[in-house]
Amino acid sequence: MNLKHRIVSIAVCAVMLSAGMAIGQTPPPADAQAAPPAETPPPPAPDAPPPELKTLDQEVQGLKKDVVDLNKDLFVLQEELLFPANTQVALYISMDVGTFFALDSVTVKIDNKEVKNYLYTAREADALLKGGVQQIYLGNLKVGKHELVAFFTGKGPVERDYKRGATINFDKGVGAKYLELKITDRVPKHQPEFMIKDWE
Amino acid sequence: MRRAVLAGGLSLGLAIGTASLAAAPSIVGKAAPDFVLRGLDGRNLRLSEFRGQVVLVNFWSRSDGDSRQQMPALDRINITYQRAGLVVIGVSVDEDLRRSKEFAAAMSVSYPILFDTGTAIGKDYYLQKMPMTILVDRSGVVRYTAVGFRRGDERVYLDHIRELLRE
Repeated sequence: MNLKHRIVSIAVCAVMLSAGMAIGQTPPPADAQAAPPAETPPPPAPDAPPPELKTLDQEVQGLKKDVVDLNKDLFVLQEELLFPANTQVALYISMDVGTFFALDSVTVKIDNKEVKNYLYTAREADALLKGGVQQIYLGNLKVGKHELVAFFTGKGPVERDYKRGATINFDKGVGAKYLELKITDRVPKHQPEFMIKDWE
Repeated sequence: MRRAVLAGGLSLGLAIGTASLAAAPSIVGKAAPDFVLRGLDGRNLRLSEFRGQVVLVNFWSRSDGDSRQQMPALDRINITYQRAGLVVIGVSVDEDLRRSKEFAAAMSVSYPILFDTGTAIGKDYYLQKMPMTILVDRSGVVRYTAVGFRRGDERVYLDHIRELLRE
C-alpha cells in the first residue's frame, strides 16, 4: 500500500514537472509582446547572434538542465523503491597491489543462492588495480542472519590458475548493509589474500 | 464447397504466416545488448569496451555449414579493415565447449572468438538461425543484421561497413 502511494506520488510529481515546463515554454500574452520597450536597446554587435536566438538557446539549455535534474530525481526514487534502505545490501569489490593475483571472475552466493557471476576484462581489472571500487551487487535481504560466499578465480603466483573463496556471516539489521570484497597481497607468503569486510 | 474451404484455409495460413513474419523482432536501431565472454586465448572481452569503433559480431555454430563458409570471408574483412577501425568478434553458441574450442583453433582466424554456452545473449539478440551477423556503429547501436550466409554476402557486409566507418 505504502509502495503504491509512493509510485502514485512520483507519477504526480513527474506530471506536474512536465506541466510546469510546458507552462514555462508558453509565449507571453499578446499585450506584453505588443508593449513598446521603455528604452531603445543599443544596436547589436555585427558578429553577435540575434537576441531572439540567444534567449531561445538559453531556454533550451534551461530545459536540458530540467530534464537532467528530473532524470536524476527519478533514478534516486527508482533506487529507493527497488532497493529500500531497510532491505538493501550492497556489495563492493576492491583490489590492492595485485602482484600475486590477476582477477578473472567473481561469483557471489548469498544463503547458498548464486546472485552474481562477473567476468572481468583486462581493462576492468586494471581499473581495480588503479584504486577503483566497483559495486558488484545491489539487492534486497530480509532482516536477520545471512551467509555470503565469494569465489575468486584468476591467475595466481607463477601464472597458475587460482581459485579461492571467502565467507562471511553477517547480521542484516534495519538499515542498509554494505560489504566489501578485498583482494590484497600477502607479501611474506607471496600469496594473494581474500577478505570480506562488513562496513557497519 | 471444398474449394471455398481450401481457399479459406490458404488465406488463413497466409495471414498467420504474414503475421508471424511481421512480428519477428529486430534489434536494428536499438542499443546493442552488452555482453562479456571468455575468448579462445582465455581473455574476457566486453562488447561495450569497443564503443567508438565499428563492430561486426558474428554468432556461429560449429555444426552449421554456412558458418564454416563465412568465417574465412570475415577473416579477410578483418585483416583488411581492422586498421580502419573495424573490430570483428566471433561468438560460438555451441553447447559443447571443448569441441567448439577445437574447431575455432583449427579455423585459426585473425579475430577473437568468444564462447557462449548460456542462453541469455541469444535471447537478447533474437538469435534464430546460424550464422547471424550484426553490425554495431561507433555509438553502440545495431545498424544491420543478416541471417545465414551465401557466397557474395561479404560484399553486402562491406558496403555497410564502409558506410559505418565513414560516419
